[in-house]
Amino acid sequence: MSKKIDQRLPQNSGENSGLNQYYAIKTPWEKLIGYKEAMHYANRFEAVLSTAIMQAYRILIPDYEERTELMCKTVMDWQYEKSIMYGLTRDYQLNMHPFMCGQFTGALVGDEGDDCLLMCGRVQDFGTYRAEKELDACPWDICGTELCRATTRSLQGQANGAATRRRPGPTMDYAMVEARGAGDRHCRIVAESREKYPMPERKLWEAFGPIATADQIKYTVEEDCCDEPMVFREECDYKFINGTCSVDESAAVNMVKMSTAGSLYLLPAIEAGIEKGLFSREFAYHVVSLCCEGAGKAMFGEHYSIQACRDYLGVPNSIGKDGRILGGLIELQLQSVFCPYEVEAFNENEVIYVIDRKGLQLVSAKTLPDCHFWLWKGAVKTLVDAQWMVWEEDSPEGKMRIKIAKKIDKFQ
Amino acid sequence: MYKNIFKYDDMKRAEHMAVRETVGWYLFTHQIMEVTGPDAEAFLDYVLLNNIATLVPGKDRYTVMLNDKAEIIDDVVVMRREDEKFWVSTLFSMPMDDWFYDHQGDYDVDWCDITDEWHMFSVQGPKSKEVIESLVKDSIEDLKFFTHAENEINDIPVIINRTGFTGEKWGFEVYVEEENTDDIEDLIRKACEQAGGRQVTDFQVMAWTLPTEAGFYYMRDLKWRNPFEVDLGNRINWEKDFVGKAALKKIADEGPSYEMIGFEALDDDPYIRAMQYGGPGEPVYIDGEEEEIGRVAKLVYSYVKDVNNGYIYAKKDKLHIGDKLKIHGYDCVIVEKNWLK
Repeated sequence: MSKKIDQRLPQNSGENSGLNQYYAIKTPWEKLIGYKEAMHYANRFEAVLSTAIMQAYRILIPDYEERTELMCKTVMDWQYEKSIMYGLTRDYQLNMHPFMCGQFTGALVGDEGDDCLLMCGRVQDFGTYRAEKELDACPWDICGTELCRATTRSLQGQANGAATRRRPGPTMDYAMVEARGAGDRHCRIVAESREKYPMPERKLWEAFGPIATADQIKYTVEEDCCDEPMVFREECDYKFINGTCSVDESAAVNMVKMSTAGSLYLLPAIEAGIEKGLFSREFAYHVVSLCCEGAGKAMFGEHYSIQACRDYLGVPNSIGKDGRILGGLIELQLQSVFCPYEVEAFNENEVIYVIDRKGLQLVSAKTLPDCHFWLWKGAVKTLVDAQWMVWEEDSPEGKMRIKIAKKIDKFQ
Repeated sequence: MYKNIFKYDDMKRAEHMAVRETVGWYLFTHQIMEVTGPDAEAFLDYVLLNNIATLVPGKDRYTVMLNDKAEIIDDVVVMRREDEKFWVSTLFSMPMDDWFYDHQGDYDVDWCDITDEWHMFSVQGPKSKEVIESLVKDSIEDLKFFTHAENEINDIPVIINRTGFTGEKWGFEVYVEEENTDDIEDLIRKACEQAGGRQVTDFQVMAWTLPTEAGFYYMRDLKWRNPFEVDLGNRINWEKDFVGKAALKKIADEGPSYEMIGFEALDDDPYIRAMQYGGPGEPVYIDGEEEEIGRVAKLVYSYVKDVNNGYIYAKKDKLHIGDKLKIHGYDCVIVEKNWLK
C-alpha cells in the first residue's frame, strides 16, 4: 500500500495564504462556491465566450494567415504601448534587476501572467539568450490556434517594451513551439536570441517556430504534470514565486477579471479590422452577436446539462423552469469576475439585473458586456424555455439593465 | 532526452572561465538605497542582522534582512560611505522601502532609492587587479577586501569597491554615475580585452554558475530561509536588538530543522526541476523511503569541475557528504557546497 495522498487542498487551505480574504461566490439559493472553483469557472467560461467571438472573427476574415497576422500585430503593438506606459512599476514588481540587459525579462511577465490565469506549468530555462516555459494546462485551449500565436506576440510586445527601460542587450524571438490549442500535450514558449541562435526571419503569424534550440527542450511527462497554479498548491505554500523572488498570493488569480482572450486579443483585432476598412462595424457586430447567441443556445442543448447546471447552482426542486435559473448562472459569472451588479427583480415571472458595464469589460474591451448579453440571450432558450427571452431595457448611463421574462417576438 | 543547457554551451563556458582564468567584466548594477541621518547607523542595526555600528566609513558588510519570523527577506551589502551615510545594495528596493517605512519608528533617518543615478560594472578574476590598476588614477594596491574608495578613470569620478559575487580572490566593482556609463564601459572593455579577458553577458553565468561554484547564494536560495539553515548564523550580535531576534533566538536554541547542502547530478543531461526558475523544486527522497526529505533549490553547472552542481534544501541531518541518491530518476551525490576547492 502506498502512503501517497492524491493532490488536494487541505481543510485549513487558505490560512496565511490570502485565500481567507475571499469569501465564496454565493448563488441565489445560498450555495457557496469556493474561490478557487469560482476562478476556474470564470476563466473557462470566458474562454467559451471568447471561442464564440473567435468563430465570428473567422467568418469576418476567412483567411487564416490574414486574420492571425492582424491579431498578432494588434496585440503586439498594444502590449508594447502598455509596457511603455505602465511597465516601470511592473519591472519593480517582477524584480527585473537593473543588470538584466535586453529583452529576456519579458519572460517574467509571461510567467506570472500564466500562473494568475491558471495556466499552470513551469519555467524550464531563463537566461539572457534563451528562455523556455512549459504549460500543462490552458483554459483558453479551445479558442483556436490563431489565439495561441497571438499570445506569443503579446509576450514579444512586452519584451520589446521592457527592453527600452534597460541597458542594450540581445534581442529575443518568442515562439510557441507546442500549443494545447493545436492538440499538443503542453504549451511551450521558447525565446531565443537571434544573435546567438540565428534563424530566418518569420512573419508575425508564424509564431509557432521553428526554433534553433529544439534539442534543449525539457519535456515533462504526464505523471509529473500539474493541474493547479502555484497559488493553489500546498507544495508551493500557496504562493507563486518566480526565479527573481517576485511573489503573488492567491489574490493574484483575480487577474482573470482583467484578462480574457476575448477582451485582450479578439475584440481588439475586430476593431482593427473595422479601422482598416475590412468590414463595417455594423456587420462585424452582427456576426459576433449571432455567434455568441448560437453558442449560448448550444450550452444547454444537451438536456443533461440543464440538470447539471441546476445542481451546480443549488437550485431547489421547488423552482421550476423560469428565468431565475439563468439569473443564478449570470450572478455566478458576474461574481466570479468581480463585476458589480444589482438585483432589481428575481421571481418566477421576471428577473432583472442592473450590471456595471465597466466591470464586465475586463480590461478595455467596451463591447465585451454585449458579447455576454448575446450569449445569455441564446442560453435562455435552452436552459429555460423558448418562450423566454433576455433583453436590455432602460439601461442607465454606464449600466446594462437586462430583463429575463417571457416574450413573443415574431422576428427573433 | 534534452541537451544540457549549460554543459555544451561554449559561450557560457567561455564567459565563466574568463572570470576563473583571466578576467571577466559585466554590468552588474544593483539597486541602491541611500540611508542617511543621525540615526542611520542605529536604524540599519535594527533592520539588519549583522553589526553595522562596527562598520567604519569605506568598509562594506554582507548581511541579511529578516522578518518577524526570522525568515530572510533580503540579502544586502551595506557600504558605509560616511559616518551618517550608507549605501544598501539590494535587488529588492521596492519592498525594502516599505519595510523601512514600517520599521522607522522614532529613528531620525531618511532613505532614498538612488538606483537611477548609478551603474556598476563588476570586474572579476585573477587579472582584475591588473586591469583596474591600469585604469584608475590612484593605485588600488592597498584596497582590502570589502573596502571601497573614490577614484578616477580618465578624469571620470568612480567608486572602486573590492568585492564580487564570484568567489574570486581578486574582484572589483566600479560604480559610475549614469551619464558616464558608456565611457567607462568602453574603457573597461578595452582594458579587459588587452588582458585577455572578455565580457560576461549571460545572466545565468553572472547570477548562477559563478556564485554557485563558490557556494554563494542568489536571493532565490535564501528567500524565507532562516540564517542558520543557510550558513549565515555566525557572528550574530545577540546584545543588539534587531527585527526577528526573538524568533531567531528560539531557532538558535532549538537548532534549525533544515539545511542547504551541495549535490552533483552525475548524468550528462539530467532533467531535475529546481527552485531557481521559480516553483517548488524537485522533491528529494532517500532511496527506498517514502518520506520527502527536501527539495532541489538549484541545479546549474560547474565549468571548473565539469559537473552539474547545485543545492538541496533538506531536513537537517538527513543527507551527508558522500550519500548517493536518485532525484527524478537521475544519479546524484551529496558533496560539499564549494566547487573551487
